[in-house]
Amino acid sequence: MVRVTGNFRKESPLHPKAEAALLAAFDAGWADPRKLSSSSSKAHHMRQEALESIAHQLSLRSDEIEILGEPLLGHYLSIAGLATSPKTKIFYCATSRSEVIATARSFDPVELPVDIRGNLDIAQNSQPGVLALQIANGETGIITATDEVVKLFPDCLIACDATTTPDASLLPSRWDSAIFDSGSWAGPSGIGILAIRNSKVWKNPLPHIGISRVPQSYSLPLLLSSVVALEAWKSDLSEDMRLRDLSAQLRLRIASSVSDCDIAGELDSSLGNISSFSFLYCHGEELLRELSIRGFDLDSGSACTSDDLAPSHVLAAMGILTHGNIRVTIHRGTTSDEIEELGTAIIESVAQMRARN
Amino acid sequence: MKEVDSRGKRCPAPIIDCAAAIASVESGVSILLLSDDPATLPDLLAWARMTNNSAIKISEESFQITKK
Repeated sequence: MVRVTGNFRKESPLHPKAEAALLAAFDAGWADPRKLSSSSSKAHHMRQEALESIAHQLSLRSDEIEILGEPLLGHYLSIAGLATSPKTKIFYCATSRSEVIATARSFDPVELPVDIRGNLDIAQNSQPGVLALQIANGETGIITATDEVVKLFPDCLIACDATTTPDASLLPSRWDSAIFDSGSWAGPSGIGILAIRNSKVWKNPLPHIGISRVPQSYSLPLLLSSVVALEAWKSDLSEDMRLRDLSAQLRLRIASSVSDCDIAGELDSSLGNISSFSFLYCHGEELLRELSIRGFDLDSGSACTSDDLAPSHVLAAMGILTHGNIRVTIHRGTTSDEIEELGTAIIESVAQMRARN
Repeated sequence: MKEVDSRGKRCPAPIIDCAAAIASVESGVSILLLSDDPATLPDLLAWARMTNNSAIKISEESFQITKK
């Protein structure tokens, strides 16, 4: 169980078992598994065991898995690997993460609109291309009805963005590539899992020599630690239901106590641990600072908190208020009392800020 | 039409300016909001939905808001 008092940001500390495994892995897994030596052979064996475990935990085949040392590169590899030419149409949701949108724009991009609930607002599409399909949105937690959407794109290859959750049951029944991120199961950052189901079509889109499908520049110790975190995550799935209850508790408290508040998406169709609140007439950055002073660290999609001062494209696409936004990620181990305290801090901070305006 | 110049201000200031101005007019009356903040358009549309008013974009930096 990870203790994360006060941390409601996306990032979380390593699971204690993963932290212990990381130290041990640096001792045992330092050699290059591709070379010929006893230490390399040992590293190779550890790597194979890691791949088998990941495949099992994510309901994948071990031969369709590639490990990435740069998870964000996985979005490009997953989508561009399925594109057959620069003119390939890449269909993407308006709420997709920016790496997906950037990749789509290097081909023939087609943006798919969403409604205020964050659901794709589209009709049947008969054009061929690649559908970049997000499994769940990282800002709002809203889950895509993947099978329903895939049915609307019968002639498209499907590249899944599964970087927000290791719940493989959310993948559609038909898909061609997928990217997972170790951070979504409280594993170390810097490890991505690229799954290539359709290896007949997928081609390495990066300049390359040899048969490697992806750059092999990841850290084996980080991979081994990530596997331990994934196993720990999957062994305690009952915790997810508790986190969903905590989210419901927080959403109800805020909705009943604060006027003029936009809550993005319904909890029933969202990941249970992410909630996004936007408070009218509030300044996002000031709200984050005030909550930080009170001991609570959160994320925000407001323009004043982004590097380029642009509002969250996710909230804007949904028609949700972008200013005064805070994003709450509830990590495993969080208690009901902590959620009550967070709720009180949010309510008081918003009232204080509005009184100043 | 009453004009509210919020150019140079960042969110949520243009929306706060707009709300203050619309509070001072009668139902059915419109105001013109000038703003160069990229968050103004999405936030104005959200504000109109939440407060039951109407807002439309006139140009890149001007918006017409009508009190319901």
